[in-house]
Amino acid sequence: MDRRAARLALAIPVPIALLALWSLAVRAEWVANLPAPSRVGSQLWALIGGDEIFQATLWGHLLQSSLRVVMGFGLACVLAIPMGVLLGRSARLRDMLDPTISLLRPVPVTAWAPLMVVIVGIGTRSATILIFIAAFFPVLLNTVTGVRAVPVRLTEAAAMLGTRPHRVLDRVILPASIPNIFAGLRIGLGFAWVVVVVGETVGVQTGLGAFIEQARQVSRTDLIIAGMLFIGLAGYLSDRALAGGFALALRKRPILTA
Amino acid sequence: MTTTTDDITVEGAAASTTTDATGVQIAAMAKRYPDGTLALDGIDLQIAEGEFICIIGASGCGKSTLLRIMAGFEAHTGGSVAVRGSEVRGPGPDRGVVFQDYGLFPWLSVRSNIAYGPRQQGLPAEEVQARVERYLDLVQLTEFGDRFPSQLSGGMQQRVAIARVLANDPAVLLMDEPFGALDSLTRETLQSTLLGIWEEVASTVVFITHSVEEAVNLSNRVVVMSGGPNHGCPGYIKEVVDIDLPYPRDVTSPAFNDIKRHLIATVHGGVDHP
Repeated sequence: MDRRAARLALAIPVPIALLALWSLAVRAEWVANLPAPSRVGSQLWALIGGDEIFQATLWGHLLQSSLRVVMGFGLACVLAIPMGVLLGRSARLRDMLDPTISLLRPVPVTAWAPLMVVIVGIGTRSATILIFIAAFFPVLLNTVTGVRAVPVRLTEAAAMLGTRPHRVLDRVILPASIPNIFAGLRIGLGFAWVVVVVGETVGVQTGLGAFIEQARQVSRTDLIIAGMLFIGLAGYLSDRALAGGFALALRKRPILTA
Repeated sequence: MTTTTDDITVEGAAASTTTDATGVQIAAMAKRYPDGTLALDGIDLQIAEGEFICIIGASGCGKSTLLRIMAGFEAHTGGSVAVRGSEVRGPGPDRGVVFQDYGLFPWLSVRSNIAYGPRQQGLPAEEVQARVERYLDLVQLTEFGDRFPSQLSGGMQQRVAIARVLANDPAVLLMDEPFGALDSLTRETLQSTLLGIWEEVASTVVFITHSVEEAVNLSNRVVVMSGGPNHGCPGYIKEVVDIDLPYPRDVTSPAFNDIKRHLIATVHGGVDHP
Protein backbone atom coordinates (compact mmCIF):
# COMPACT_ATOMS: atom_id res chain seq x y z
CA MET A 1 0.00 0.00 0.00
CA ASP A 2 1.49 3.37 -0.93
CA ARG A 3 1.47 6.37 1.34
CA ARG A 4 -1.53 8.07 -0.23
CA ALA A 5 -3.70 4.99 0.12
CA ALA A 6 -2.53 4.50 3.68
CA ARG A 7 -3.48 8.06 4.56
CA LEU A 8 -6.89 7.67 2.93
CA ALA A 9 -7.48 4.44 4.84
CA LEU A 10 -6.67 6.25 8.08
CA ALA A 11 -8.88 9.23 7.29
CA ILE A 12 -12.06 7.36 6.35
CA PRO A 13 -13.15 5.57 9.59
CA VAL A 14 -13.75 8.74 11.62
CA PRO A 15 -16.39 10.33 9.34
CA ILE A 16 -18.03 6.91 8.89
CA ALA A 17 -18.24 6.49 12.67
CA LEU A 18 -19.66 10.00 13.04
CA LEU A 19 -22.31 9.23 10.42
CA ALA A 20 -23.17 5.98 12.19
CA LEU A 21 -23.46 7.76 15.54
CA TRP A 22 -25.64 10.42 13.93
CA SER A 23 -27.88 7.73 12.40
CA LEU A 24 -28.15 6.01 15.74
CA ALA A 25 -29.01 9.26 17.49
CA VAL A 26 -31.84 9.87 15.03
CA ARG A 27 -33.22 6.33 15.24
CA ALA A 28 -33.03 6.15 19.04
CA GLU A 29 -34.53 9.67 19.20
CA TRP A 30 -31.80 10.95 21.54
CA VAL A 31 -32.12 14.39 20.00
CA ALA A 32 -35.37 15.99 18.91
CA ASN A 33 -35.73 17.41 15.37
CA LEU A 34 -32.46 15.90 14.15
CA PRO A 35 -32.82 14.88 10.50
CA ALA A 36 -31.42 11.56 9.35
CA PRO A 37 -28.12 11.67 7.49
CA SER A 38 -29.83 10.16 4.46
CA ARG A 39 -32.33 13.02 4.36
CA VAL A 40 -29.56 15.63 4.62
CA GLY A 41 -27.69 13.71 1.95
CA SER A 42 -30.54 13.64 -0.52
CA GLN A 43 -31.36 17.29 0.22
CA LEU A 44 -27.72 18.24 -0.34
CA TRP A 45 -27.72 16.27 -3.58
CA ALA A 46 -30.78 18.09 -4.82
CA LEU A 47 -29.24 21.43 -3.86
CA ILE A 48 -25.99 20.62 -5.60
CA GLY A 49 -28.06 19.68 -8.63
CA GLY A 50 -29.35 23.24 -8.72
CA ASP A 51 -32.67 23.22 -6.81
CA GLU A 52 -33.63 26.78 -6.07
CA ILE A 53 -34.41 27.61 -2.47
CA PHE A 54 -34.61 30.95 -0.59
CA GLN A 55 -34.30 33.11 -3.74
CA ALA A 56 -31.29 31.27 -5.21
CA THR A 57 -29.62 27.94 -5.83
CA LEU A 58 -27.06 26.77 -3.27
CA TRP A 59 -24.40 27.74 -5.80
CA GLY A 60 -25.90 31.20 -5.97
CA HIS A 61 -25.76 31.49 -2.20
CA LEU A 62 -22.17 30.26 -2.25
CA LEU A 63 -21.30 32.82 -4.92
CA GLN A 64 -22.78 35.66 -2.86
CA SER A 65 -20.87 34.57 0.25
CA SER A 66 -17.66 34.11 -1.72
CA LEU A 67 -17.94 37.59 -3.20
CA ARG A 68 -18.30 39.07 0.28
CA VAL A 69 -15.37 37.00 1.57
CA VAL A 70 -13.19 38.02 -1.37
CA MET A 71 -14.09 41.70 -0.98
CA GLY A 72 -13.73 41.89 2.80
CA PHE A 73 -10.64 39.70 2.95
CA GLY A 74 -9.10 41.40 -0.09
CA LEU A 75 -9.62 44.82 1.43
CA ALA A 76 -8.11 43.60 4.71
CA CYS A 77 -5.01 42.33 2.87
CA VAL A 78 -4.61 45.49 0.81
CA LEU A 79 -4.60 47.61 3.96
CA ALA A 80 -3.11 45.27 6.59
CA ILE A 81 -0.03 44.04 4.69
CA PRO A 82 1.44 47.48 3.85
CA MET A 83 0.47 48.77 7.27
CA GLY A 84 2.06 45.73 8.92
CA VAL A 85 5.27 46.27 6.95
CA LEU A 86 5.41 49.92 8.04
CA LEU A 87 4.69 49.02 11.66
CA GLY A 88 7.28 46.25 11.57
CA ARG A 89 9.93 48.63 10.25
CA SER A 90 9.26 51.65 12.44
CA ALA A 91 9.45 51.52 16.23
CA ARG A 92 8.02 55.04 16.39
CA LEU A 93 4.97 54.06 14.37
CA ARG A 94 4.51 51.01 16.62
CA ASP A 95 4.63 53.21 19.71
CA MET A 96 2.04 55.42 18.09
CA LEU A 97 -0.41 52.72 16.97
CA ASP A 98 0.13 49.69 19.18
CA PRO A 99 -2.10 50.81 22.08
CA THR A 100 -5.00 51.60 19.75
CA ILE A 101 -4.63 48.31 17.91
CA SER A 102 -4.44 46.39 21.18
CA LEU A 103 -7.68 47.99 22.34
CA LEU A 104 -9.62 47.44 19.12
CA ARG A 105 -8.42 43.94 18.37
CA PRO A 106 -10.20 42.08 21.22
CA VAL A 107 -13.60 43.55 20.28
CA PRO A 108 -15.39 40.55 18.75
CA VAL A 109 -17.02 40.89 15.37
CA THR A 110 -20.36 39.94 16.95
CA ALA A 111 -20.03 43.14 18.98
CA TRP A 112 -19.27 45.18 15.85
CA ALA A 113 -22.27 43.71 14.04
CA PRO A 114 -25.10 45.66 15.76
CA LEU A 115 -23.21 48.92 15.30
CA MET A 116 -22.60 48.21 11.62
CA VAL A 117 -26.25 47.34 11.06
CA VAL A 118 -27.27 50.69 12.51
CA ILE A 119 -24.68 52.95 10.91
CA VAL A 120 -24.08 51.17 7.60
CA GLY A 121 -27.43 49.47 7.29
CA ILE A 122 -28.48 45.93 6.64
CA GLY A 123 -26.96 44.35 3.57
CA THR A 124 -23.86 43.34 1.68
CA ARG A 125 -21.86 46.38 2.67
CA SER A 126 -22.32 45.71 6.35
CA ALA A 127 -21.36 42.02 5.98
CA THR A 128 -18.29 42.94 3.94
CA ILE A 129 -17.13 45.46 6.53
CA LEU A 130 -17.49 42.85 9.28
CA ILE A 131 -15.38 40.40 7.28
CA PHE A 132 -12.83 43.13 6.73
CA ILE A 133 -12.60 43.80 10.47
CA ALA A 134 -12.25 40.11 11.29
CA ALA A 135 -9.54 39.44 8.71
CA PHE A 136 -7.66 42.69 9.21
CA PHE A 137 -6.10 42.00 12.61
CA PRO A 138 -4.58 38.55 12.05
CA VAL A 139 -3.11 39.69 8.72
CA LEU A 140 -1.75 42.88 10.31
CA LEU A 141 -0.25 41.25 13.39
CA ASN A 142 1.35 38.39 11.50
CA THR A 143 2.86 40.78 9.00
CA VAL A 144 4.32 42.90 11.82
CA THR A 145 5.71 39.75 13.45
CA GLY A 146 7.14 38.54 10.15
CA VAL A 147 8.84 41.82 9.33
CA ARG A 148 10.26 42.16 12.83
CA ALA A 149 11.56 38.59 12.76
CA VAL A 150 13.78 39.22 9.72
CA PRO A 151 17.32 38.61 11.00
CA VAL A 152 19.46 41.77 11.10
CA ARG A 153 22.15 39.68 9.44
CA LEU A 154 20.14 39.52 6.22
CA THR A 155 19.69 43.28 5.98
CA GLU A 156 23.41 43.70 6.73
CA ALA A 157 24.23 41.20 4.00
CA ALA A 158 21.98 43.07 1.59
CA ALA A 159 23.60 46.40 2.47
CA MET A 160 27.18 45.21 2.05
CA LEU A 161 26.28 43.58 -1.27
CA GLY A 162 25.22 46.97 -2.58
CA THR A 163 21.44 46.97 -2.17
CA ARG A 164 20.21 50.55 -2.29
CA PRO A 165 18.28 51.41 0.88
CA HIS A 166 14.91 51.78 -0.85
CA ARG A 167 15.25 48.29 -2.38
CA VAL A 168 15.95 46.45 0.89
CA LEU A 169 12.21 46.13 1.44
CA ASP A 170 11.40 44.15 -1.69
CA ARG A 171 14.77 42.38 -1.96
CA VAL A 172 15.01 41.12 1.62
CA ILE A 173 12.30 42.16 4.07
CA LEU A 174 9.33 40.90 2.05
CA PRO A 175 10.77 37.56 0.93
CA ALA A 176 12.03 36.89 4.45
CA SER A 177 8.64 37.64 6.03
CA ILE A 178 6.54 35.63 3.58
CA PRO A 179 6.08 32.62 5.91
CA ASN A 180 4.52 34.79 8.62
CA ILE A 181 2.47 36.86 6.19
CA PHE A 182 1.13 33.66 4.69
CA ALA A 183 0.20 32.35 8.15
CA GLY A 184 -1.70 35.59 8.78
CA LEU A 185 -3.54 35.30 5.47
CA ARG A 186 -4.69 31.77 6.26
CA ILE A 187 -5.98 32.78 9.69
CA GLY A 188 -7.64 35.87 8.23
CA LEU A 189 -9.33 33.88 5.47
CA GLY A 190 -10.59 31.35 8.01
CA PHE A 191 -12.05 34.19 10.10
CA ALA A 192 -13.62 35.64 6.97
CA TRP A 193 -15.67 32.47 6.43
CA VAL A 194 -16.77 32.47 10.07
CA VAL A 195 -17.84 36.06 9.87
CA VAL A 196 -19.59 35.88 6.51
CA VAL A 197 -22.17 33.66 8.18
CA VAL A 198 -22.56 36.04 11.14
CA GLY A 199 -22.81 38.98 8.77
CA GLU A 200 -25.37 37.32 6.54
CA THR A 201 -27.69 36.37 9.37
CA VAL A 202 -28.32 40.06 9.92
CA GLY A 203 -30.73 40.79 7.15
CA VAL A 204 -29.32 39.88 3.77
CA GLN A 205 -31.42 37.65 1.53
CA THR A 206 -28.74 35.57 -0.17
CA GLY A 207 -25.53 33.92 0.92
CA LEU A 208 -24.85 30.77 2.90
CA GLY A 209 -25.43 32.58 6.22
CA ALA A 210 -28.77 33.90 4.97
CA PHE A 211 -29.58 30.42 3.69
CA ILE A 212 -29.02 28.92 7.14
CA GLU A 213 -30.91 31.72 8.89
CA GLN A 214 -33.93 31.29 6.62
CA ALA A 215 -33.83 27.52 7.08
CA ARG A 216 -33.89 28.12 10.82
CA GLN A 217 -36.97 30.34 10.52
CA VAL A 218 -38.82 27.47 8.83
CA SER A 219 -37.23 24.86 11.13
CA ARG A 220 -35.61 22.92 8.25
CA THR A 221 -32.76 21.25 10.11
CA ASP A 222 -31.85 19.23 7.02
CA LEU A 223 -31.20 22.47 5.13
CA ILE A 224 -29.29 23.96 8.06
CA ILE A 225 -26.92 21.00 8.14
CA ALA A 226 -26.57 20.99 4.36
CA GLY A 227 -25.63 24.69 4.53
CA MET A 228 -23.14 24.01 7.32
CA LEU A 229 -21.45 21.28 5.32
CA PHE A 230 -21.23 23.58 2.33
CA ILE A 231 -19.63 26.37 4.35
CA GLY A 232 -17.09 23.91 5.76
CA LEU A 233 -16.29 22.76 2.25
CA ALA A 234 -16.05 26.32 0.91
CA GLY A 235 -13.70 27.36 3.74
CA TYR A 236 -11.55 24.31 3.19
CA LEU A 237 -11.35 24.82 -0.57
CA SER A 238 -10.51 28.52 -0.25
CA ASP A 239 -7.71 27.66 2.17
CA ARG A 240 -6.36 25.08 -0.29
CA ALA A 241 -6.63 27.65 -3.08
CA LEU A 242 -4.64 30.16 -1.02
CA ALA A 243 -1.96 27.60 -0.18
CA GLY A 244 -1.87 26.46 -3.81
CA GLY A 245 -1.50 30.03 -5.00
CA PHE A 246 1.44 30.55 -2.67
CA ALA A 247 3.07 27.27 -3.66
CA LEU A 248 2.72 28.25 -7.30
CA ALA A 249 4.18 31.71 -6.73
CA LEU A 250 7.13 30.41 -4.75
CA ARG A 251 7.71 27.28 -6.82
CA LYS A 252 10.19 25.21 -4.83
CA ARG A 253 11.87 27.99 -2.92
CA PRO A 254 12.39 27.24 0.74
CA ILE A 255 10.97 30.38 2.28
CA LEU A 256 11.65 29.72 5.93
CA THR A 257 14.39 31.85 7.39
CA ALA A 258 16.80 30.25 9.84
CA MET B 1 51.12 51.91 19.99
CA THR B 2 51.88 55.46 20.83
CA THR B 3 48.93 57.33 19.42
CA THR B 4 46.26 58.28 21.85
CA THR B 5 43.39 60.63 21.33
CA ASP B 6 41.71 61.81 24.45
CA ASP B 7 39.15 63.80 22.61
CA ILE B 8 37.16 62.68 19.65
CA THR B 9 38.33 64.24 16.43
CA VAL B 10 35.41 64.97 14.21
CA GLU B 11 35.14 63.35 10.83
CA GLY B 12 35.99 65.44 7.82
CA ALA B 13 39.20 66.96 9.08
CA ALA B 14 40.51 63.42 8.86
CA ALA B 15 40.10 63.13 5.11
CA SER B 16 43.26 65.15 4.47
CA THR B 17 45.35 62.72 6.52
CA THR B 18 44.67 59.87 4.11
CA THR B 19 47.01 60.40 1.22
CA ASP B 20 47.38 56.76 0.21
CA ALA B 21 44.58 55.75 -2.13
CA THR B 22 45.22 52.03 -1.90
CA GLY B 23 44.35 49.34 0.63
CA VAL B 24 42.83 50.26 3.96
CA GLN B 25 44.03 53.29 5.93
CA ILE B 26 42.89 53.65 9.52
CA ALA B 27 44.19 56.69 11.40
CA ALA B 28 43.57 57.76 15.01
CA MET B 29 40.22 56.04 14.81
CA ALA B 30 37.92 56.00 17.85
CA LYS B 31 34.49 54.61 18.53
CA ARG B 32 32.38 55.99 21.35
CA TYR B 33 28.94 54.50 22.01
CA PRO B 34 25.99 56.82 22.62
CA ASP B 35 26.17 55.98 26.35
CA GLY B 36 29.67 57.48 26.47
CA THR B 37 31.66 54.24 26.58
CA LEU B 38 34.82 54.44 24.52
CA ALA B 39 34.99 51.07 22.74
CA LEU B 40 38.02 51.76 20.56
CA ASP B 41 40.62 54.48 20.68
CA GLY B 42 43.79 55.45 18.87
CA ILE B 43 43.48 52.78 16.22
CA ASP B 44 46.13 53.18 13.53
CA LEU B 45 46.43 50.51 10.90
CA GLN B 46 47.62 50.59 7.32
CA ILE B 47 46.73 47.57 5.25
CA ALA B 48 48.44 47.31 1.88
CA GLU B 49 46.59 46.33 -1.27
CA GLY B 50 46.53 42.52 -1.50
CA GLU B 51 47.68 42.00 2.06
CA PHE B 52 46.18 39.31 4.32
CA ILE B 53 45.74 40.63 7.87
CA CYS B 54 44.48 38.63 10.85
CA ILE B 55 43.14 40.32 13.95
CA ILE B 56 43.24 38.38 17.20
CA GLY B 57 42.52 39.32 20.78
CA ALA B 58 40.50 38.37 23.83
CA SER B 59 36.71 38.67 23.79
CA GLY B 60 35.51 42.23 24.22
CA CYS B 61 38.66 43.89 22.87
CA GLY B 62 36.66 45.40 20.03
CA LYS B 63 38.03 43.42 17.09
CA SER B 64 34.54 42.72 15.75
CA THR B 65 33.60 46.36 16.27
CA LEU B 66 36.68 47.38 14.29
CA LEU B 67 35.63 45.10 11.44
CA ARG B 68 32.03 46.33 11.57
CA ILE B 69 33.31 49.91 11.34
CA MET B 70 35.39 49.00 8.27
CA ALA B 71 32.26 47.38 6.85
CA GLY B 72 30.26 50.53 7.55
CA PHE B 73 27.69 48.78 9.75
CA GLU B 74 28.75 51.01 12.64
CA ALA B 75 30.03 54.56 12.43
CA HIS B 76 33.35 55.56 13.94
CA THR B 77 33.19 58.68 16.05
CA GLY B 78 36.75 59.88 15.62
CA GLY B 79 39.71 59.69 13.24
CA SER B 80 39.36 58.17 9.82
CA VAL B 81 38.79 54.87 8.06
CA ALA B 82 39.41 54.90 4.34
CA VAL B 83 39.30 52.15 1.74
CA ARG B 84 41.18 52.94 -1.48
CA GLY B 85 41.23 56.57 -0.46
CA SER B 86 37.55 57.06 0.22
CA GLU B 87 36.22 57.51 3.72
CA VAL B 88 33.88 54.75 4.94
CA ARG B 89 30.40 56.18 5.47
CA GLY B 90 28.23 53.07 5.36
CA PRO B 91 28.17 49.56 3.95
CA GLY B 92 28.98 49.12 0.29
CA PRO B 93 29.92 46.50 -2.31
CA ASP B 94 33.59 47.58 -2.25
CA ARG B 95 33.83 45.90 1.18
CA GLY B 96 32.56 42.32 1.12
CA VAL B 97 31.70 40.91 4.52
CA VAL B 98 31.77 37.20 5.36
CA PHE B 99 29.86 36.52 8.58
CA GLN B 100 30.35 33.65 10.99
CA ASP B 101 26.68 32.68 10.45
CA TYR B 102 26.94 33.04 6.64
CA GLY B 103 23.97 35.41 6.19
CA LEU B 104 22.92 33.77 2.92
CA PHE B 105 19.45 34.50 1.54
CA PRO B 106 17.54 31.27 2.23
CA TRP B 107 14.97 31.86 -0.54
CA LEU B 108 17.64 32.16 -3.23
CA SER B 109 19.55 29.30 -4.81
CA VAL B 110 23.33 29.20 -4.51
CA ARG B 111 23.65 30.73 -7.99
CA SER B 112 21.14 33.47 -7.20
CA ASN B 113 22.90 34.25 -3.93
CA ILE B 114 26.16 34.75 -5.82
CA ALA B 115 24.40 36.71 -8.58
CA TYR B 116 22.75 38.99 -6.03
CA GLY B 117 25.56 41.54 -5.68
CA PRO B 118 26.41 41.90 -9.39
CA ARG B 119 22.68 42.28 -10.11
CA GLN B 120 22.41 45.10 -7.58
CA GLN B 121 25.23 46.82 -9.43
CA GLY B 122 23.16 46.60 -12.60
CA LEU B 123 25.69 44.52 -14.53
CA PRO B 124 24.48 42.99 -17.81
CA ALA B 125 23.04 39.47 -17.49
CA GLU B 126 25.92 37.77 -19.37
CA GLU B 127 28.46 39.43 -17.07
CA VAL B 128 26.47 38.40 -13.99
CA GLN B 129 26.33 34.82 -15.21
CA ALA B 130 30.02 34.76 -16.07
CA ARG B 131 30.90 35.95 -12.57
CA VAL B 132 28.56 33.43 -10.95
CA GLU B 133 30.16 30.54 -12.81
CA ARG B 134 33.68 31.82 -12.19
CA TYR B 135 33.29 32.15 -8.42
CA LEU B 136 31.17 29.03 -8.11
CA ASP B 137 34.07 27.20 -9.73
CA LEU B 138 36.60 28.99 -7.52
CA VAL B 139 34.88 27.71 -4.35
CA GLN B 140 34.36 24.29 -6.01
CA LEU B 141 30.59 24.27 -5.77
CA THR B 142 29.59 24.21 -9.43
CA GLU B 143 27.56 21.03 -9.05
CA PHE B 144 25.65 22.53 -6.10
CA GLY B 145 24.72 25.76 -7.86
CA ASP B 146 21.00 25.02 -8.01
CA ARG B 147 20.68 23.94 -4.38
CA PHE B 148 19.35 26.18 -1.66
CA PRO B 149 21.52 27.20 1.31
CA SER B 150 19.55 25.00 3.72
CA GLN B 151 20.51 21.98 1.64
CA LEU B 152 24.25 22.57 2.16
CA SER B 153 26.65 21.86 5.02
CA GLY B 154 28.05 24.75 7.06
CA GLY B 155 31.38 24.65 5.26
CA MET B 156 29.67 24.73 1.86
CA GLN B 157 27.43 27.60 2.93
CA GLN B 158 30.49 29.57 3.97
CA ARG B 159 32.07 28.91 0.57
CA VAL B 160 28.91 30.29 -1.04
CA ALA B 161 29.15 33.35 1.21
CA ILE B 162 32.76 33.90 0.10
CA ALA B 163 31.84 33.50 -3.57
CA ARG B 164 28.92 35.88 -3.08
CA VAL B 165 31.14 38.75 -1.92
CA LEU B 166 33.94 38.00 -4.41
CA ALA B 167 31.42 38.33 -7.23
CA ASN B 168 31.22 42.03 -6.35
CA ASP B 169 34.98 42.34 -6.94
CA PRO B 170 35.50 44.09 -3.59
CA ALA B 171 38.52 46.18 -2.62
CA VAL B 172 38.72 44.30 0.64
CA LEU B 173 37.29 41.10 2.07
CA LEU B 174 36.19 41.49 5.70
CA MET B 175 35.83 38.14 7.46
CA ASP B 176 34.43 37.98 11.00
CA GLU B 177 35.43 34.63 12.51
CA PRO B 178 34.21 32.97 9.32
CA PHE B 179 35.29 29.46 10.27
CA GLY B 180 34.48 29.76 13.97
CA ALA B 181 31.33 27.64 13.79
CA LEU B 182 32.88 24.83 11.75
CA ASP B 183 34.49 21.58 12.86
CA SER B 184 38.29 21.53 12.80
CA LEU B 185 38.61 19.35 9.70
CA THR B 186 36.29 21.57 7.64
CA ARG B 187 38.10 24.55 9.09
CA GLU B 188 41.50 23.34 7.88
CA THR B 189 40.10 22.59 4.43
CA LEU B 190 38.54 26.03 4.19
CA GLN B 191 41.76 27.70 5.32
CA SER B 192 43.62 26.23 2.37
CA THR B 193 40.68 26.95 0.06
CA LEU B 194 40.75 30.58 1.22
CA LEU B 195 44.52 30.85 0.65
CA GLY B 196 44.02 29.45 -2.85
CA ILE B 197 41.31 32.02 -3.53
CA TRP B 198 43.45 34.81 -2.12
CA GLU B 199 46.29 33.82 -4.43
CA GLU B 200 43.90 33.74 -7.39
CA VAL B 201 42.02 37.01 -6.85
CA ALA B 202 44.81 38.92 -5.01
CA SER B 203 42.26 40.57 -2.75
CA THR B 204 43.00 42.43 0.46
CA VAL B 205 41.74 40.36 3.39
CA VAL B 206 40.98 41.34 6.98
CA PHE B 207 40.25 38.19 8.95
CA ILE B 208 39.16 38.04 12.58
CA THR B 209 39.79 34.83 14.48
CA HIS B 210 40.01 33.44 17.99
CA SER B 211 42.60 30.93 16.88
CA VAL B 212 46.23 32.01 17.05
CA GLU B 213 47.19 29.06 14.89
CA GLU B 214 44.67 30.07 12.22
CA ALA B 215 46.08 33.61 12.26
CA VAL B 216 49.69 32.45 11.86
CA ASN B 217 48.73 29.97 9.19
CA LEU B 218 46.87 32.48 7.03
CA SER B 219 48.19 35.98 7.31
CA ASN B 220 51.03 38.30 6.29
CA ARG B 221 50.58 40.22 9.51
CA VAL B 222 48.83 39.48 12.79
CA VAL B 223 47.27 42.38 14.67
CA VAL B 224 46.88 41.71 18.39
CA MET B 225 44.19 43.76 20.08
CA SER B 226 43.71 44.17 23.81
CA GLY B 227 41.71 46.12 26.36
CA GLY B 228 38.06 46.85 25.91
CA PRO B 229 35.46 48.51 28.13
CA ASN B 230 35.35 45.47 30.42
CA HIS B 231 39.04 45.92 31.14
CA GLY B 232 38.74 49.55 32.07
CA CYS B 233 40.14 51.02 28.88
CA PRO B 234 39.13 51.24 25.22
CA GLY B 235 40.15 48.48 22.85
CA TYR B 236 43.54 49.20 21.25
CA ILE B 237 46.15 47.59 19.06
CA LYS B 238 48.75 46.03 21.30
CA GLU B 239 51.15 44.65 18.76
CA VAL B 240 51.48 43.93 15.08
CA VAL B 241 53.55 40.90 14.12
CA ASP B 242 54.85 40.22 10.59
CA ILE B 243 54.67 36.59 9.50
CA ASP B 244 57.35 36.07 6.88
CA LEU B 245 56.95 32.31 6.52
CA PRO B 246 56.37 31.07 2.97
CA TYR B 247 53.03 29.54 1.96
CA PRO B 248 51.84 26.81 2.34
CA ARG B 249 52.87 26.89 5.96
CA ASP B 250 53.85 23.96 8.08
CA VAL B 251 51.98 24.29 11.37
CA THR B 252 54.39 21.86 13.01
CA SER B 253 57.60 23.72 12.09
CA PRO B 254 59.67 25.35 14.84
CA ALA B 255 59.52 28.79 13.19
CA PHE B 256 55.70 28.59 13.03
CA ASN B 257 55.50 27.61 16.66
CA ASP B 258 57.95 30.31 17.79
CA ILE B 259 55.59 32.93 16.35
CA LYS B 260 52.57 31.13 17.73
CA ARG B 261 54.12 31.00 21.22
CA HIS B 262 54.97 34.68 21.11
CA LEU B 263 51.44 35.61 20.00
CA ILE B 264 49.77 33.47 22.65
CA ALA B 265 51.92 35.22 25.28
CA THR B 266 50.93 38.60 23.84
CA VAL B 267 47.21 37.78 23.73
CA HIS B 268 47.29 36.56 27.32
CA GLY B 269 49.78 39.16 28.45
CA GLY B 270 47.32 41.54 30.06
CA VAL B 271 46.31 45.07 29.30
CA ASP B 272 49.00 47.74 28.95
CA HIS B 273 46.98 50.52 27.44
CA PRO B 274 49.30 53.52 26.97
